[in-house]
Amino acid sequence: MFIRKTDAGNWIRYSILVVTSLIMLFPFYLMIIMAFKDPKSILAGGYLAPSLEPTVSNFVRVFEAASFLTYLENTVLVVTGILLLQLLLIIPAAYVFARLKFRGSGLLFIVYVIQIMLPLEALILPNYRIMNSFGLINTRIAMILPFVGSGYCAFLLRQAFRQVPQSLEDSAIIDGCGHLRFIWSVLLPLSKPTLIVFSLISVATHWNDYLWPLIVTDSNRVRTLTIGLGMFVQHESGADWGMLMAATLFISLPLILLFVVLQRRFIESFLTSGLKG
Amino acid sequence: MKRVLLFVMLALLVMSGLVFGENLQRYEDVEGTVNLKFYYVVGVAGALATVIDGMVDEFNRSHAKIEVEPVYCGNYNDTMTKVQTAVLSGNPPDVFVVEISELYTLLGIDGIIPLDKYIEMDGGVEFTGQYFSALYDNARADGQIWGQPFQRSTPILYWNKDLFAKHAKELESQGLDPTRAPRTWFELEKYAEILTEREGSKTNVWGCILPGGWNDWIFESFVYQNGGMLISADAETSGFGSLEVLQALTFWHKLTNELKVSPPLRPWNQTPLDFAGGHAAMMYYSTGGLPLIRAQANFDFAVAFQPMQIQYGVPVGGGDFHISKDIPPENQDAAWEFIKFMTSPEMAAQWSRESGYICINKLGLDLPEMKSYLEEYPNASLAAQQLTYSYSKIMAPNFQEIRKLFVVNLDAMMQGLQSPQETQERLHVGVQLILDEY
Repeated sequence: MFIRKTDAGNWIRYSILVVTSLIMLFPFYLMIIMAFKDPKSILAGGYLAPSLEPTVSNFVRVFEAASFLTYLENTVLVVTGILLLQLLLIIPAAYVFARLKFRGSGLLFIVYVIQIMLPLEALILPNYRIMNSFGLINTRIAMILPFVGSGYCAFLLRQAFRQVPQSLEDSAIIDGCGHLRFIWSVLLPLSKPTLIVFSLISVATHWNDYLWPLIVTDSNRVRTLTIGLGMFVQHESGADWGMLMAATLFISLPLILLFVVLQRRFIESFLTSGLKG
Repeated sequence: MKRVLLFVMLALLVMSGLVFGENLQRYEDVEGTVNLKFYYVVGVAGALATVIDGMVDEFNRSHAKIEVEPVYCGNYNDTMTKVQTAVLSGNPPDVFVVEISELYTLLGIDGIIPLDKYIEMDGGVEFTGQYFSALYDNARADGQIWGQPFQRSTPILYWNKDLFAKHAKELESQGLDPTRAPRTWFELEKYAEILTEREGSKTNVWGCILPGGWNDWIFESFVYQNGGMLISADAETSGFGSLEVLQALTFWHKLTNELKVSPPLRPWNQTPLDFAGGHAAMMYYSTGGLPLIRAQANFDFAVAFQPMQIQYGVPVGGGDFHISKDIPPENQDAAWEFIKFMTSPEMAAQWSRESGYICINKLGLDLPEMKSYLEEYPNASLAAQQLTYSYSKIMAPNFQEIRKLFVVNLDAMMQGLQSPQETQERLHVGVQLILDEY
């Protein structure tokens, strides 16, 4: 990476990148060192330096205080449930909006994506009432259902599907493709970048959902990680930073790992898509 | 095509797994048992959720016919949102704890029942006499009692004995005693000035932190200490226009902006950490901060009554128990049993020790375990003594709106963006408008 050392442009580029990465990484650094510090030493000053005697006592206290493994299981279930149902519902819907012409399709699409404008808080009461009338309060399903018809996903996928040239569709039809076969064999492979981006956004968003799960669930056996984390963020008195950071680390680690693992495919998919256009 | 099918099957499998999973795990109702849902709020540090769960377990063990399920609902605001949503959707919890100023909102949505008949059955005045009477003031409306005190606190003055000792000479030269906290506003100002440690433009130790976040609550103390009041008892007239309020505002402005002995806007959560870290000689804070400070401070500290101007005064704070209206009568009766248990001398004392809240039940203070605790931590009993000078916290319909206006304007003044006069004007007009609206 330092082959052309004389190239001043490269130096500038790298230093900007290094500085930005440091700024981005700094909160993670703080989180990690504080999670392993003894609560008293966090306040003792020198809080930027890692502890010389790392301790796992914060983690022990976190796991004693709440059933985080159940929370993890529930979060994974809810997040995958949301993603799978979103894809199952939205892929055909986006296909219809993108490639089929019928009267009122434009208007219908606008009505559909208008939900992007509505903040979740405004929908809490109606959503709760619907879930209540289905008898679904305090279930994981209630945390999934309100999000499966994502307008955002429909919008993204429709745009991606529209970019596939008509000639590809024509030749697919000549080769005997039906709607589903065309979606599966032509549209989806070509829209991979969008699908991956959307999946990551969906997983990250719902992994971090707090208010809706808090309101619609009561029991620990169905509750999610963020609610467990909420128990350590306090209002009437000061926060216990060691515990808070240990819990935060545990909660964000799966997401960070997921992103690191998928990162390469994530970026590759952008590169190859450029060639195909 | 096969892969499409596979994908669809997978999605259906997850979904059905969820559905069946839920059904299998549903509670089986035992014949004759009353099941109660208890929504609770966690407002202080530490794993208090575990403490509540433990207390509820103890209740369930000792009451065969009642089964209470404790439900953690986040902070005061989240809990209120959850309660309101559930009540308005016809799925109310049986018993819950919310912030005391929400009483009028609860009455507005017709969500709770008065507790008078239960109190009567359990001895009336004899029953309420167990509790510090100031705590009931925020539970009263329309001549009835709607709530039972539970997690209650008052703001109190914390002071760092080591820092006071460090500046003993300077304090004594001004005629101030370094072994006690200030008792009047005048003294507070003097102590804070001497105790503030500066290095150039950087402040290393603040004299006295007036925290942000719940500054409305802390400020209320100052108004009482100055002999004023913020909203009339009938919740119709704003008292923000009075001279007493202006004097209190001016005093705050002086501490934060002229003398700069208090940081302009310290986040509520951060303030006890500043104090525990030795970066503040004094702070105004909830008694609920006591366990945290005790656990984290490696110096000698104490608490004291808030300094007075013309009198001692402090608003109560925290949360009360309420019983829902639209639930079967047997659930309401069971909920009262539960409330009585949670506020019994033993439980109140245990709750106070673990949380730093006041031991609301006076009989709890006489228990041997509480006596030895108070001997070990005399700070804990001071909060209860301060109750003698306590007032009810302001209550009004649309309290959330008033509080927002209150905090925003105090914030602006503490940051030096508006003068005490402008602040008073905006608050007085704004609060009166909100009160008139109702």
